[in-house]
This record gives sequence, C-alpha cells and structure tokens, in this order.
Amino acid sequence: MLQFINVSKRYSDSGEVLSNVSFRLEQGEMAFLTGHSGAGKSTMLKLIPLIERPTRGQVVFDGRPINHLPKRQVPHLRRKLGLIFQDYRLLHDRTVFDNVALPLQIAGYGQQETARRVRAALDKVGLLRKEKRYPLALSGGEQQRVGIARAIVHKPSLILADEPTGNLDPDLSAEIMALFREFNQVGVTLLIASHNLDLISRFACRTLKLHQGQLVEGD
Amino acid sequence: MPIARHKQTPRKRRDTTAVRVKRTRNGPANWLRAYADLHVETLKSSFARLRRTPVASSMTVLVIAIALTIPASFHLFIKNVRQASSTLEATNQVSLFLKPELSNETGGKLAETLKKHPQVAAAELITKEAGLQELKSYSGFGDALRALDFNPLPAVVSIKPKDSLTRPEEVEKLLAELKALPETDFVQLDTEWMHKLNSLLTIAQRSVIVFSVLLSLGVLFIVGNTIRLELQNRHEEIAVAKLMGATDRFIRRPFLYAGFWYGFLGGTLAWLIVSAFLLFLRGPSRRLAELYGSPYTLSFLGLTETELLIGASVSLGIIGAWIVVSYHLRELDAT
Repeated sequence: MLQFINVSKRYSDSGEVLSNVSFRLEQGEMAFLTGHSGAGKSTMLKLIPLIERPTRGQVVFDGRPINHLPKRQVPHLRRKLGLIFQDYRLLHDRTVFDNVALPLQIAGYGQQETARRVRAALDKVGLLRKEKRYPLALSGGEQQRVGIARAIVHKPSLILADEPTGNLDPDLSAEIMALFREFNQVGVTLLIASHNLDLISRFACRTLKLHQGQLVEGD
Repeated sequence: MPIARHKQTPRKRRDTTAVRVKRTRNGPANWLRAYADLHVETLKSSFARLRRTPVASSMTVLVIAIALTIPASFHLFIKNVRQASSTLEATNQVSLFLKPELSNETGGKLAETLKKHPQVAAAELITKEAGLQELKSYSGFGDALRALDFNPLPAVVSIKPKDSLTRPEEVEKLLAELKALPETDFVQLDTEWMHKLNSLLTIAQRSVIVFSVLLSLGVLFIVGNTIRLELQNRHEEIAVAKLMGATDRFIRRPFLYAGFWYGFLGGTLAWLIVSAFLLFLRGPSRRLAELYGSPYTLSFLGLTETELLIGASVSLGIIGAWIVVSYHLRELDAT
C-alpha cells in the first residue's frame, strides 16, 4: 500500500528533517506516527500527497513510485488519499454538506451521487442532522468530524491524519480515535500522526516513532 | 424507483448503491450529465458570488461598461455620419453660380444650352428669388435674411451630370469646361466636401481601433484585478481544494465563469448605455436631417455589432480571469 525506502528530506533553511526513513504500511493497517514536535511527522505525511517531494529515497504508493510523478498527475494521486488536519481546514463560507461534498465535486460526481455519498459519510460521523449548518456554528469535535467525513466521502485507499486530536480535549480525542478504529475495522488503511502517547497506548496498533528525523521504532 | 429504494433493507440498499456507482463512473451519458451539472452549477454559483458583493461587482461591471461605451459610441457616431453623408452624396450635383450682375433670363438661357451638353443629364435654373426663399425656409437664417433690403444671391444653374460620369478626371474636365463659360462666376461640386469628410472619417475610424485596443486592455485589467482580489479572498478554499486533488482546471473554472459574468454584464450595460445615448440624440438628428432634406434616420447598433460588443466583452472577461488565475496557480505551485 505505502512504502518509504531510505527517504530523506532536507530543507535549505532547516537542514535534514528526515533521514533514511524506511517502512511499509500494508493494506487495511492502522498505524500511529509519533515523536516530539519537529521530529518530522508532518514532513513525512506531506511526502505522500506530494505536498513536498523527498530529497533522496523513494516513496511507493499503490505499487507505484511517486517521487517523480508529473505535476499534472498529482491531483489524481491526491484523490486516492483522505487528508485530515489538526486545524480541520474547513471552508467557513460553506455548509457542512458542501464542505463534505468538495472531494466529490473535484472528482466529478453528479449531484445525486454526491448527495447520497455525502449523507452516508455524515451519517458515519454522526452529523447527518447538521448538514445545513456552517462549520463555525459547530463545536471543535464536530468540526473535526466534518473534516473526517470529508476525508472518507470519496472512499480513499489511505487516510492520513496529522494531529487530528491536537485541538481537542481528551474525551473528544478518544471519540475521534474510536471513529478511526471503526473505519479500520471495515478495512480502511490509516496513518495517524499524533504526539498524544497516552491516547495511542489505548490502541493496540503499530506505532512508528520518529526522533530527530529518524525512525527509531516500528519499522 | 426512488420509492422502491426506500423500502429496501439497508443491506440491499448498499448493493444497489455499489452497482449505481459503477454505472455512474463508467457510463458516458452519466459522465456527461455530471459534467454539465458541474458547469451549470458553476455558472449559477459564480453569479451568486457576484451578488454577494453587490457594490464591488456593480462597480466592476460599470467600469467595464464605460470602457466599452467609449469606442462603441464613437464607432456609431462615425457610422452615422458616414451614412448621413452617403445619402447626401446621391444628390451628386454641380452648382454653377452666375456672375451677380447677370439676370435670371441669362441663367435660363444658359440652363437650356447646358441641357444639350452630352455629359449633362439635367440643368435647372434656380432664380435669385427661389434661392432666397429656399435659404429662408431651410437654413434657419430667415430672420437675418429678412433684414436685408436687397437680394444678394446670384442666379444658379443646378447641373446634374450624367450617371456615366464617374471617373474623377471626367468630372474635373466638365468642371473646367463650365468654369470657362463667360457667364460663370464660380462652379462648385457639391460632393467635394464629402470627400474631405470621408477622409476625416477614415482617420477617425482608425482612432476607434486604437481606442478599442487600449480600452480592451483596460477591461482586461479591470477583470483581472477584480478576480485577483477574489483569489485572495478564496485563498484557503483553493489551498484545500488542491489538497483534495483538484486540478488547475477545476480551480480555474469558477473564476472563468466570474470573468464571463463580468464581461457579459459589462457588455450588456454598455449596449444599453449606447442605445440610450442614441435615443437621446434621435430628436436633434432628425431635425438636422430635415434641414438637409435627407431621408436619413439615426442607425443603432446592429445585430452583428451587438454580438461583437457582447462577445468581445465576454471574451475579455474570460481572458482576464484566465491570465490572473493561471498566474496565481503558478505562484501557488512554486511555494
């Protein structure tokens, strides 16, 4: 599903952020990515949707090396991914429904199909009744659930979450994690970056630990 | 069909959904419909967006309209002057002014002689009195002329050359011949000033082209700038859409539609302004035409010109949007 082979990433201003990272994530697996702030978690996640490209090494997704994927194919790669952000990144001038519909509109689904899938996704995160609300009228936990619905609505093959519970209190965090586990139980592959070790320890999942740009555990 | 689906159990429902999905993704008809949906939706939503900021949008539309009104009305002005002068040109004639001391009778005899000239179709005497009468009734100098206690006008023979006489040299030759007559004071070819006017109009027409190009560039900048502000406002939306796998085309589309709307509304408004302007001029121009005894009526923007105006405006809107969005997307990729 996903494989990093000796991947390094160097920025001209902050030096090497990732050094020689290698790991494999299998289809249907759920894994955590941990480490202190600045350990390179976000950078690692950015290499998969090609927000950044590695300096050295190879990233393989769905059996294809993606380092040198031409720019015009990047959108198609991203449509196979579901991204979840710490700050939700919802569009405040659109309703919950329209926010979740975005990946489907991008992929070119018709209106009927879009409506059906959006409602299915909202149902899964328990927000079906709030589809007409605007994101700012929702609580933080609800906003993140909208973000999650948006990440799963197009049935991506891999979900990447970058500190999805970073802005939430422990109860809500646990709720969100439970949701992820539910998805995983029906076969969704997830890679979740989080520094909340306490929360992670409650799940019997594989944990990749980054320290100063190197993978020290779980490879 | 939808009712039937509601009655199905959830399990079954999921199955039908799966089948439908497959069909939706593969069927060309469905794909086409989805594509059409998208465009209609974008057309509507981009208009809704324009309406959300009515003051800013109307200002942009108004500026575009004014920029287009200037060359369009200038063009119409020239077109009308040209048409007006051509209806006069049909009365292509030579006026032979007799020496003032010569009488109407001498003029009459001269007219009779000239009628037999091989290159003359008609020759008619306008007596001193008839000339004065005509001047009084048509020119608006009535009061001033009444103040005169004698008739200052000479007798005039109005000569219509044969239609076969089209080449300028031939006309020149006839004029020279008429000038050489002992009765002639001077000879005036009535179309002469028309030629001067025509060359002036040609110059004016060229300047319309220059104006059009400059103001079109103006429209391009106005639309571009408006779209640029819109891009800044929707920066987050674009960033998120890109992360979700939006192609540049997808991101560009609503802005191109916004450009379309600005161009379309601006062009339509320009058309309305030009037409209102012409309506405003219609009364006076009719009076002017009457003074010249011409059947001329003011001509408005024709269908082709209307299409050209709105078409150009729409194209400029779309092109302006395209340039700015493409530039913005390139910048976004670079960061």
